[in-house]
Amino acid sequence: MNTYHNDRLTCWNCPSAILRGNVDFRACGQSMRRFTSMEGGDVVIECERRPELGHFEPTINFSECPQWKPTKYGRLLDNMRVLILGIDGYLGWTLALKLGALGFEVSGVDNFLRRRMVREKGSMSVVPIASMEERIKAAKKYLDIDINFRKIDVLNRDKLADFLKEVKPEVIVHYAEVPSAPYSMVDADHAIFVQKNNVLGTLGLLFLMRDIVPEATLIKLGTMGEYGAPLTGRPLFEGFFPADAVLLWNGREWSLGGEMTPRDPVSFYHVSKVQDTFNVYEACKYWWLRSYDVMQGVIYGVHTDELATDDKLRTRFDVDEWFGTVVNRFVAQAILGIPLTLYGEGEQIRGFIALEDAMECMVRLISSPPEPGQYTVVNQVSGLYKLKTIAKTVAEVGAEFGFDVKIQRIENPRVESEVHPLEVVAENLPERGFRPRVSLEREIRRMFDLLSRKHIVRRLEKVKDTIIPRTWWSGDKRDPKVLGVYSPDEVREEEGGFRGILHMPLDSVFVYRWEDEEK
Amino acid sequence: MIFTDKNFQEEVLKSPIPVLVEFWASWCPPCKMVEPIIDRLEKEYMGRMKIGKMNVDINPVTAKRYNVKGLPTFIIFINGKIVYRGVAAKTENELRRVIEEILASQDEEVRV
Ligand SMILES: NC(=O)c1ccc[n+]([C@@H]2O[C@H](COP(=O)([O-])OP(=O)(O)OC[C@H]3O[C@@H](n4cnc5c(N)ncnc54)[C@H](O)[C@@H]3O)[C@@H](O)[C@H]2O)c1
Repeated sequence: MNTYHNDRLTCWNCPSAILRGNVDFRACGQSMRRFTSMEGGDVVIECERRPELGHFEPTINFSECPQWKPTKYGRLLDNMRVLILGIDGYLGWTLALKLGALGFEVSGVDNFLRRRMVREKGSMSVVPIASMEERIKAAKKYLDIDINFRKIDVLNRDKLADFLKEVKPEVIVHYAEVPSAPYSMVDADHAIFVQKNNVLGTLGLLFLMRDIVPEATLIKLGTMGEYGAPLTGRPLFEGFFPADAVLLWNGREWSLGGEMTPRDPVSFYHVSKVQDTFNVYEACKYWWLRSYDVMQGVIYGVHTDELATDDKLRTRFDVDEWFGTVVNRFVAQAILGIPLTLYGEGEQIRGFIALEDAMECMVRLISSPPEPGQYTVVNQVSGLYKLKTIAKTVAEVGAEFGFDVKIQRIENPRVESEVHPLEVVAENLPERGFRPRVSLEREIRRMFDLLSRKHIVRRLEKVKDTIIPRTWWSGDKRDPKVLGVYSPDEVREEEGGFRGILHMPLDSVFVYRWEDEEK
Repeated sequence: MIFTDKNFQEEVLKSPIPVLVEFWASWCPPCKMVEPIIDRLEKEYMGRMKIGKMNVDINPVTAKRYNVKGLPTFIIFINGKIVYRGVAAKTENELRRVIEEILASQDEEVRV
């Protein structure tokens, strides 16, 4: 018989378990008033899905519970109710289809802010996307997925509260933030708008969860950019120091275990994510909310099986300087004949993950709900690459498609170290059964395949002028100077230079063998 | 080993060998961080010291009886009596030192 990574989780983790009984122990001595007092002081629960069980101790394993059904992603809660905030976005739409296809009850919220901001730049999604109404129809027609959508600004707490009461989500995936560093650096208005939208949206959501769905899991999207890239080379742990990290001072020694690691955000957008991190962490402590705070690497790509089912199901794809992410932009540049733009030295190392792998990560997290009060940080990357290496790889794959791709170094409009070490610990996702399956080359091939289609090339031509970065961290608005243009084989790794080091244990749990299926 | 209000008497207080209990909670990051160390030590000291965890939210009675106020709290019991109590995350080395000292003092008692 198969075993699953989440077999041994219990009702204590399950969003269907409504806590009852007298919980009067807290480190700070507070009791949670929402628990009714019972005889004996034991914690007992009621199961929302199996009321016939009455009051019982939260000890049933997922492997013993008929509501947690085996799938290739581990056990999943039958017809689980998910609410995706930011469902119209690059990741939100992709996840909606993925979860819908897996049998989730999908609801979603968006205010189409992303569409408006891209228009402000004079750009558009180069992969055409339909209106939400048509997207929902297409999801029904091609994949038989029902999506319960509501146009709401997350900052509008009254409307969001009503929708939460209607949907009663068991998990909330919160994508609804402005995702752009350069956008937050345009001027004071943009910086203030980004921080308000992101920080206050999330803060308000936390209060609503406390009052309406305290048992639900919040999967909150942060970014690897919250950590920065420390020049000491200190590993980027998953949010907290491990117990064996030691502070030595004045001849004495302390464990740093469980203390938050330093954050060093690299734009006002990244600062908004760090602020979110603290707000979510505190809410978990104060109110027993449960959350995964996902430090997501840079996402690239266009493919999941669901997105590829029909052109009407595609997710957005942006290449402008504000909203395009680096690999996606490089492929667009390759097709348009714009030399790939390395900022400064091009020796920056970042964590990356393909769209399809990123979606599997979300399913894995949803399959492993945290315990009451548990706040866990997850580093979500599948590889660390130098920007130079990415450019080279895009150029090489581009050549397979007949594009003659050049690489250019330009002045760096950002303030960041251009040569630095990077060591990342990513254990929480592998422990939940995640294994990266999509290589950089494979996804880049899929991108060239889609983006070099005629109707998309025509759209790329239209947004060509939005690609070169003109938003400087200094406040300047100007074209960066070109420092040099190279052919891909002239771009070499420096001898003895830094290399990214990724700690990702891949043998910790049983996982479904996709290879067997692909044979 | 998982200790509970129900098995505490039998597994901890009446244990013929010393017992190390880590009191923890799911909202306590330092507790999560020492978890792998506790698991490792449990295997290593099997037969000489019983080592396990107790969730204070699920088992409020015992946590209250021993006045556990900060997490994680480590308590070592011998014959039902507290011989060590420490609060806050510890490195593996620190925990090991505490365990070895307790076991050594026990050996001495046996010799005397
Ligand atoms: N794409 C990446 O490479 C990447 C990397 C790291 C982190 N992230 C994070 O992941 C999340 C999703 O990223 P994405 O690339 O899908 O961005 P996106 O802009 O395509 O998606 C976000 C969606 O949320 C909506 N939204 C924003 N503010 C809202 C509000 N106040 N009310 C309602 N809806 C609102 C937008 O309209 C948009 O549709 C973001 O939080 C982003 O910071 C993305």
